[in-house]
Amino acid sequence: MLFQTPSAAFPKRFAILNRLAADVKGGLAARLFAAVVIFAGLEGLIFHSGLYARIIEPDSTTGFMEVQIQNEIRRPKPDRNQVLAVGHSRMALLPRIENEKKPGTGYTFATIGLGGTTPRTWYYALRAVDPDAHNYAAILIPEDDYNEPDTWGDESERESDLHYLIARLGLRDLGEFPWTYKSTKLRWTAFEGIVLKGTVYRQDFQEFLDHPLARIAKAEYYRHDSAGWNYGFGGDARSLAGLEIDWTHRTASHFPAAVPEAEQKRITAELFPTFPPDAGRETAYLRYWYSKILDYYRGSGTKIFLLRVPRAPVSPPEVPPKLNSAARQLAGQPDVVVLDEHLLDSLERPELFWDSMHLNREGVIQFTEIVAGEVRKALGPPKP
Amino acid sequence: MLFQTPQFFVFLGVVLILFYSAPQRWRKFILLAASYYFYMSWIPVFILLLLALTAIDYCAARWIAQTGSLRQRKTALVVSLSANLGLLGFFKYYNFFAENIAHVLGQPSNAFALSIILPLGISFHTFQSMSYVIDVYRKEQEPIRNPIDYALFIPFFPQLVAGPIVRAREFFRDLYAWRRPSTAEASQGILLVLLGLAKKTIMADQFAQIANAYFQDVGKHPGMLSAWSGTIAFGIQIYFDFSGYTDMAIGMAKLLGFHFPVNFRRPYLASSITDFWHRWHMSLSRWLRDYLYIPLGGNRGGTLKTYRNLMLTMLLGGLWHGANWNFIVWGGYHGALLSIERTFRGGKPEDDRWTALYPVQAVATFALAMAGWVFFRAATFRESLYVLGQMLTGSKGEMLIPAWLLSLALLTLVLAVIEEKKAWFERIAVGPAWAYGAACALLLLSVELIGFTGPAVPFVYFQF
Repeated sequence: MLFQTPSAAFPKRFAILNRLAADVKGGLAARLFAAVVIFAGLEGLIFHSGLYARIIEPDSTTGFMEVQIQNEIRRPKPDRNQVLAVGHSRMALLPRIENEKKPGTGYTFATIGLGGTTPRTWYYALRAVDPDAHNYAAILIPEDDYNEPDTWGDESERESDLHYLIARLGLRDLGEFPWTYKSTKLRWTAFEGIVLKGTVYRQDFQEFLDHPLARIAKAEYYRHDSAGWNYGFGGDARSLAGLEIDWTHRTASHFPAAVPEAEQKRITAELFPTFPPDAGRETAYLRYWYSKILDYYRGSGTKIFLLRVPRAPVSPPEVPPKLNSAARQLAGQPDVVVLDEHLLDSLERPELFWDSMHLNREGVIQFTEIVAGEVRKALGPPKP
Repeated sequence: MLFQTPQFFVFLGVVLILFYSAPQRWRKFILLAASYYFYMSWIPVFILLLLALTAIDYCAARWIAQTGSLRQRKTALVVSLSANLGLLGFFKYYNFFAENIAHVLGQPSNAFALSIILPLGISFHTFQSMSYVIDVYRKEQEPIRNPIDYALFIPFFPQLVAGPIVRAREFFRDLYAWRRPSTAEASQGILLVLLGLAKKTIMADQFAQIANAYFQDVGKHPGMLSAWSGTIAFGIQIYFDFSGYTDMAIGMAKLLGFHFPVNFRRPYLASSITDFWHRWHMSLSRWLRDYLYIPLGGNRGGTLKTYRNLMLTMLLGGLWHGANWNFIVWGGYHGALLSIERTFRGGKPEDDRWTALYPVQAVATFALAMAGWVFFRAATFRESLYVLGQMLTGSKGEMLIPAWLLSLALLTLVLAVIEEKKAWFERIAVGPAWAYGAACALLLLSVELIGFTGPAVPFVYFQF
């Protein structure tokens, strides 16, 4: 740029700049304050007002979550006899299956379950769909294993949680959300992301710039139609019928012919994970987020249900129970129902799975019927 | 520690706080300590090299000034130049010459090669040191008495890595008559830092992805449009990368009360290659003019000698950028274009730029400059020829620059034209607080939203 040294001022045709420079109004602090205020205003207008969330790519981490949350917010809830499932991809509840019986049961089932999400994201998603903690008779939370073994990855350090939730996090979360990460780097990333949401949305925004009209049309399309698609989803038709698992020798055999070899290898690897020595890290993490959810609904009359999802296409051998796991310790608390961990053992059959951990079409139907039945039983007759 | 990283901004913030909270007599020590810290954040052991060069040049200049003997003055000058050029030659050019000697002797290309890491900013600080000692020799510069003052001149962190190449008289003018920056200067400094950051993270790093993808394997993207878009992407990358760095350097210096020379003046608006070199890396052009072209005779020895001097200057300017035949060819290409223009112009000064012919001239100059960048960026001479061939006679090819980046490039072109005519950026810098605040806010928001999302990309000129 032109900025000149004092000895060589602006050229004659820009002489006005010398006069302006000598007569700058307002101190530097005022000028910087103006910059901060305008920047904060623009950031707030675009990202903290929900404006940008309307055009976010629906097929993205943030987009998936937003679509689910928005659909659930818009879903009519004429009474409080609503049962909402949160969870990851193994929360196999299909509301449509159960709601078709509604005239007989009085309860309406819904889900905001989403693959890849974690208890941390479920808490913030619940807060978004139920800001007054008053919408639901029950919340269903899945757990993979009531023994809660530590895994090689630390669930509390998942940066993707920030991306799932960014549209739902606000300045009020600065005091907690970043500090639920352990590493300084992730804490900073989360802190920066909440204050400067553009840093999280950046990739999405640049993709938006590439095809802005197509993006707006797609976001609009999802806004109108996705609730129907999700509700009508019937589950995966594939099956592992015939699969045999030898838990002692850690082998899987007799895959159906339709399963490609690469898929067989992936499934086999997932069936026999190794675990580090249990230091209680997973339990501590779950206890923290379950407590957050419980505290959120404490005194509201909403019951919290915890259920163990079917573990594998063939029931794995039993191991001694970890009595101080978060799930088992919740059992005695008011308004908490920890469903029997063997409730869904009957679904651990290869013909009800399509991969190592997910139920297929028939599996999710049975899952929904069993779980919904237990929930209705625990809740009793619907309230008028 | 790259300028665009949060670590650097923390470092800068700490330096500014310490600098302005300390008594004035301590401030140069703070700057020196900060500069050495910045230098050592790359490879600490090279500080010994920097200290040695500083000591040699400081003593040489003092010796030149004190002795009355011409022979001793020349000896001191030769000692200083040998130290600077010797180290620069070893670190930067040893492997180049070793490879070529091996080639001549029929040996494998790495027969005499050494594993050498280039010290930070060596091409820049050696040029600054040499200009200082030469100026003292020419009696155009008083020798600096205080070794701390001289020591600060060499590694001053805002411009250590990639310039601008500051003259001793400019630096010491500010150091010895230091005054607190005015509100206007501080405002300009902050805005320049933000502008530089935006240039680097938005334009340079985004276009770098396209240029890298193209030049990584030029055969994968045949065709005229691919070659032009890949090359233009590099042209945009290198300009915004280098001028972004320079803007940040000048802005930081302003915040510390120093005034660096302008290094870029919208070179892609040039109406001729001569004009281009009046706008591109101006501090290097000035250095080459004063310490190479004019000592060689400049344009005083007749037409042929003028062309020879021009070519020599540009060839060495090319070699300065890197030890590679392609850089020499790039320098020669520009030397040839300058000579051709001079032939047609007959040594007369340039006409007013803003004529009816200007758009044609500007587009032609831009195209010629882009063609030159092919030598600069391609890995080998053979690859350069392939790309140039594709640019001239290739099939249709594909557009490598996405629509939004192309729109951004066109927007910057419009802004540059308005800046050229109206100096809007400077007006904003000294304008009302709300306008200044809006400009800063927009730059910050742009960096936040359209800056490159990957890990920090090193500045192109760091390697020179």
